[in-house]
This record gives sequence, C-alpha cells and structure tokens, in this order.
Amino acid sequence: MNALTASAAIASGRVQLANVRQRSLVTAKVRALWVLLLFVFATLTALVRIGQLGLFEDAPERRSMAEALLPPRGEITDRNGVVLARAFPSYSLWFNPKALGEGGSALVKTPEEVAKALMTIFPDADYADLVERLKSDKPSYLRKRVLPEEANKVFALGEPALEFPRENQRYYPQGSLAAHVLGYVDEAGEGHVGMEQVLQQRLLDPAQRGQPFALSIDARAQGALEDELSRGMLESNAKGAAGVVLDSDTGEVIALASLPSFNPNRSDRAFNGLVFNRVTNQVYELGSVMKPVTVASALDAGVIGDMSVRYPAAQLHIGRFTIHDSHNFGASLNVPEALIHSSNIVTAQVADKLGGPALRSTMMALHMNERPGIELPARGFPIWPKGDWARITTMTVSYGHGMAVSPLHLASAYAALVNGGVWRPATLFKVAPDKVPEGQRVFKASTSARLRQLLRMIVVDGTGKKADAPGFRVGGKTGSAEKPGSGGYRKTSLIATFAAAFPMDKPRYVVIAMLDEPQGTQATSFQRTAAWNAAPVVGRVVPRIGPLLGVVPDATRDVDISDLSPLIGNGEGE
Amino acid sequence: MIVTAHRLRSIGWIALLAICAALVMVLAFRVNALRSQVHHAEMKIVALRQEKMYLETEFETRANQQQLKAWNDVEFGYVAPTAGQYLENERQLAALSKPVEPDAPEPIRVASADDAVVAQAAFPAMVSPLSGKPLGAEADEDKPKAEKIDHAKAAASLGERLAKVDRGDDATVKPRIRQLVAKDGDDSVKSARKAKPAKDTKQAKADSKDKPAKVATRKDKPVDKPSAKPSAKVASATKSPVAKKPAAAGKREVKATK
Repeated sequence: MNALTASAAIASGRVQLANVRQRSLVTAKVRALWVLLLFVFATLTALVRIGQLGLFEDAPERRSMAEALLPPRGEITDRNGVVLARAFPSYSLWFNPKALGEGGSALVKTPEEVAKALMTIFPDADYADLVERLKSDKPSYLRKRVLPEEANKVFALGEPALEFPRENQRYYPQGSLAAHVLGYVDEAGEGHVGMEQVLQQRLLDPAQRGQPFALSIDARAQGALEDELSRGMLESNAKGAAGVVLDSDTGEVIALASLPSFNPNRSDRAFNGLVFNRVTNQVYELGSVMKPVTVASALDAGVIGDMSVRYPAAQLHIGRFTIHDSHNFGASLNVPEALIHSSNIVTAQVADKLGGPALRSTMMALHMNERPGIELPARGFPIWPKGDWARITTMTVSYGHGMAVSPLHLASAYAALVNGGVWRPATLFKVAPDKVPEGQRVFKASTSARLRQLLRMIVVDGTGKKADAPGFRVGGKTGSAEKPGSGGYRKTSLIATFAAAFPMDKPRYVVIAMLDEPQGTQATSFQRTAAWNAAPVVGRVVPRIGPLLGVVPDATRDVDISDLSPLIGNGEGE
Repeated sequence: MIVTAHRLRSIGWIALLAICAALVMVLAFRVNALRSQVHHAEMKIVALRQEKMYLETEFETRANQQQLKAWNDVEFGYVAPTAGQYLENERQLAALSKPVEPDAPEPIRVASADDAVVAQAAFPAMVSPLSGKPLGAEADEDKPKAEKIDHAKAAASLGERLAKVDRGDDATVKPRIRQLVAKDGDDSVKSARKAKPAKDTKQAKADSKDKPAKVATRKDKPVDKPSAKPSAKVASATKSPVAKKPAAAGKREVKATK
C-alpha cells in the first residue's frame, strides 16, 4: 500500500515533472518566437524604411557641375556679349530678433546705438525707420543688396541679430543703361516693362537659361545716345527726351533711350512714372519730320515729276483753316526748297495734288496705323484719322499734324525712306545676317535715292546744319511740332525732333532724337525749335557711335546732290 | 598526409579568395576616393567660377558706360576719331613714307626721336605762385626769354613722349633732361645747343642699328632740324612743319576736351 502510495506519489511527481518540463519548453518556445517576431519586425521595419527612402525620399543633394553653374535666371547681353542683366547672389541685411533666443532684448546694444552705427555704414538709410525695425519683434529686411565690405562692417558691430542671407537677385551692371529695353524683375521673380517681361519663359527655362540671350542693343552706342540726349535735355531744359538708333537694313534697334530713366537695380522703386517708354509707348504729332514721307509718296506716285516746279508759298485757306509757315519764304518754293526751309504750305499742296487715298495707303504701308512692330510690351497705339481722309486731313497729315505716332514708327519709316524703300519691323533680337526679314516694299528704289539727296541737302543747306557731323554724311529732317492742349495748339510747348540717317551715300543707321518741351536757353541760342536742340544732339551722337558701328568717317565721300543744288536759294526754316 | 594536402589546398583557395576580396575592397576604396576627389575638384571649379562671376560683375559695374563717361570727362578727354585719322587705302599709307617736298601738305610724324618733344619734358622745377612763371625767370626778364612752358601743350605731347621708343641708351637722355631742369630759367637755346651733339651721336648710333626703311624717314629730318631747334618763335618763323605740329595738336586736343 505504502509502496503503492509511494509509487503513486512518485508517479504523480513524475507526471508533474514532465508537465513542468513541457510547460517550460513551451514558455521557452513562445519566448523564442517573440524574439524571432521582434527580429522579423525589426527587419521588416528596416526594409520598409529602406524602401521608403529609396522610393519616395529625395537623394541627398549632390548636384552636378552643370546644374550648379546653371543660373536661376538667364543672362541678357548686348549684341557684343556685354552683360546687361545677370542673376547675382548678393548679400542682404536681415534682422532676426530671435537670434539671441526667446525673451529678452534682441540686440546687445540699444536699437538707437545700432541704428546710429548702421547709419555710418549706409549714410542714405532712414534712421527713424531703422530704429523702428530694430525695436519691433518681427524679422525684416533692413536693406537689400549689401556690398561684401559693407557686410563685413556690419558683422564687426557684433550683433548676432543682424544676418546676411545670400539671395539670388537680378543685377544690372550697367545701372540705368537701357533700362527701358531691359525692364526689371520684381521680388517675386516676375519680369516687367522690357525684355525681362518678354523673355520671362525663355530666361527661366532650364534647357535654355544657361546660354545668355543676345539683344540687338550695342551698349556703347546706347551709352553715347543716352549721354548726349541727357546733355541735350539739360541744355534745352526739356521735360524729357527720347532717342533711337536703328539699323536701316535689318530693323535691329541698336540703341533705344527714354529719359528721364530709372534704375532697374532698385526694383522696389522702379514702379513710377519713369518706366514709361517715350520711344514706343507715347505717340506724338511729330510735325515736319513727316514731310519727307509725303514727298516720297508723291515722288513714288509720279506727282512730282520735275523738281524745279515752283509752288506758291502764300498762306493757304482751306475752309475755316489757314495753313501757314514759320517764316515768309518768298512768293514761291520748289520741292527741295520746301524741304530745306520746312514749308507747310508747299507740302500741303503736294499732298493735295497727291490725294488722300495715296498718302493714306503710304502711311498704312509704313504701319503708321498700328502699334509699333517691336517686341516690347509697352507699345502705344497711334492716333490715326478714321475713315476716308478729308482734304484738310490729308494736308495736315502731310506735315505731321492730325496724326500721332511714336518715335519708333518714325524710325522705321525713315529706314524705309533711305534703305531703298523696304519697310521692316523694328526688333530687339539680334538678327543673323542670313535671317534678315525680307520686308515689304513701300517706295521705289529711285524714290529712296532721291530722298537720300534731299535729306542730305536739308543738313548741308537747311535746318539740319547743326547735325552735320564732319565726314559722316548725315542727312535728316527737323520737326518742331506744337503740342495740342486745351483750345488748340500751344505755342510754347513743342516736340522737337530730328530724324536722321547716315552715311547718306549708303545709309546704314537711322538716328532719331526727340526732346519734349524744350525751352529756349542760352545753350540753344534762346530757340525752341529742333534745329537748335535736337539736331545738335544727332550731330554729337553720330561721331561717337559711327566708328563703333563700323562707319568710317570720310571727308572725301558724299551723296551726289549736284543735280539738285542749283534749284535752291538760301534761308532758314522751322 | 593526403588529408593535409586537401586541407592545404582549401586553405589556399580561401586565402586567394580573401586576397581577392581585399584587393576588390582596396580598389573600391580607391575608386570612391578618386570619385570624391573629382567631386571636390568640381565643387572647387564651381566655387571658382562663381568667384570669377563676382569679380567680373564687380569689374563690369565699376567700368560701366556711365562711369567710363564720367572718367573720360574728368581725366582722359578722349574723343572719337575724325575723318583725318583714317586711311582709305594702301596708296594713302604709302604716301606717308615719301620724303617731304616743298609745298607738300604736313607730313605725319613718326613716333621716334624728335628733340623738341624731349625738350618739352623739361618742366620748371618750381613755379612762382605769384607770377605763375618759373622761379628765376622773373629775375632776368630782359634776358632772352626761356621757352615758355605751355602745360596744355606739354600734356598734349604726353602721348608722344610715352610713345617714344626707348632704345636702351636712355642714360644719355635722362641726364640731359636733368640738365635742362637744373638750368631752368636759362636760355633754352643754349641748353638745346648743348644737348644737340649728344642727340646726334645717339641718332647716328640708332641709325646704324636700325632698319633701312626707318633710316630713310629719319634722314630727311636733320634738314629742318636746326630751324626747329632754337625756340618756338623761330620755328614758327621758318614754318618748319615738324616744329609746328605739336602746337597744332595741342590746340586741337584742348578744344576737344572742353
């Protein structure tokens, strides 16, 4: 029994032992499984993370050389590769009030002291504004575009709150040169006004922005034109000035200036009246400079067969209007004399003989009834007499009144007058020699040749004497138009224009200079008319730009005017 | 024994494998090192190009059209070339080397030696602040006058003086200038006469060295030299084209820079 109980006890103990063993085995297995699961989980997590990194995360930034050198916005250069606009990482001065941690003063010194120290570095800054910014707890720009040496000086102040982030900005090394052609780029990176706006897509396109974009502008000619225009503007105390140099054979704009100008580097200040482009956007009644166009149209139509035919020069009464000249030029004038003295009366008679429809179609062929053909966004719409032209309209248009066009219209028309009679749209893109547009024929080549003689004669013997740069064979026409005001034309507010081309024996460039409301000053011999202010500008611009543009001055050459010169007497006109 | 050989062989394979693996690793490291060097070089190139761009931009800004114009107005006074400064063809060019004939138009002077140019370099050592005349010149007014130094003229001839070919025997020229400066206020006719022999020997030396073409141009010069020498007055009286030229050039320049 004992043995039985004992054996039973042993047996039960064994069973129990076996149970224990089994249980601990199971526990161990379960624990091993947990560990395994843990490992599997970790592995899976790692794999998922790797997958996530590989598939969705961006690679660490390791840009190739080409990418690193690609500018954020393409360069704009002139026709010879002089950089006019470039993306430039420059320092700016940023005030970060949290630089010294939250709470407490943002600056080591007082804001007044710091502002004073900044004033010594940037004398043009606004002290009150600086103090206000430094006192506020909002971060802000204290200044954009800081020079490295200025940045060093600010750094030496020892204020951690003054930071110098490097930011990509648009920089114009030539300052205000060709500002109206280039335009400017605002804070958001949008181009405005000029080619910055036109070429926005091209300048940002990653495939193309590595290559600089060449304009037709020549920076040297542009500089000379702006320089001489501003001199003319100051000398005559004019409100503004405009000028353009156009390649008469291709339509390329070599220089285009509208004064007063603006500095595109200060885009924050750029949006004001100065961005207005007087060359392409403003339309003027340009006056007598239109007379050669009328004469060319009449020559082309065969209305002027004989240059020696004389027209009466007495005042013309058409209905309630009277057409008169600036001076009395005698009883009669022939066409060369009419141009040399700038006679409205004779031009009106020529136009009357020619007829409205013919003059109108010439003007339309010169695209005077639409916006100027150029890429710039700022293009003014001409004031164009509607419908069929009345007799008086034809007559006034013939000497440049009753129709208002931009100086660029005039430049393109003069190019057609002298280049053999072909009109081409003006362009700011550099044109390859084999890609010159064919253009539209407006005048016969013979008409153009005649006009070259006439324009040269105006400069040799007539109102354009002051534009006669020695050796450059300049030909051109003055125009002094009274500005329309309330109650008719204002006698003292003129638009003085000189439209010229050189060298006249083989014209290559058209030069237009225009002054807005010039005054009679000592420098202009107390005269307001173009002969005394706009013509001298052209006379000074041509010798400066001629040699640069490949026109060799030569005193031994000239266009032959011997067949016309016996027809003229002498005298001065408008 | 066989077992050992077998084992040895497998150890050999393993060793070979290990060596290969090590070599591959070394190669991989080397490739990576090189790659990173290339990357560094590229970064350096980028940085240098950026630097170049900054410098270029700075240069362009400092030398922009408006700035150049301002400098030209104040400092240089350069003007655009005129029709007279262009040569039309070879014929005009060849005409330049012809000897001067009577009644011929003014010849174009070569940049080489002309004593009048050197004499002009003799600025007075000191100018009286009251009279504006060289010191010493006031004392003996009645004496034959020293050649009046026209600063505008001297400045105009600066280009010519700079363009003068330095022939190495500068030693003979420099003391002469010093001499002239020291003798300031003295009769320049005298000093010029003194200077002359030195010049002639120099000329002779140079001539013997020089090319025949240049000799030809210089040979015709001594003809009018004595008349060109003494003073501006005498020179204008004899109407020597060589002596007249600098004055005319000076005038033109002054006009142009106005």
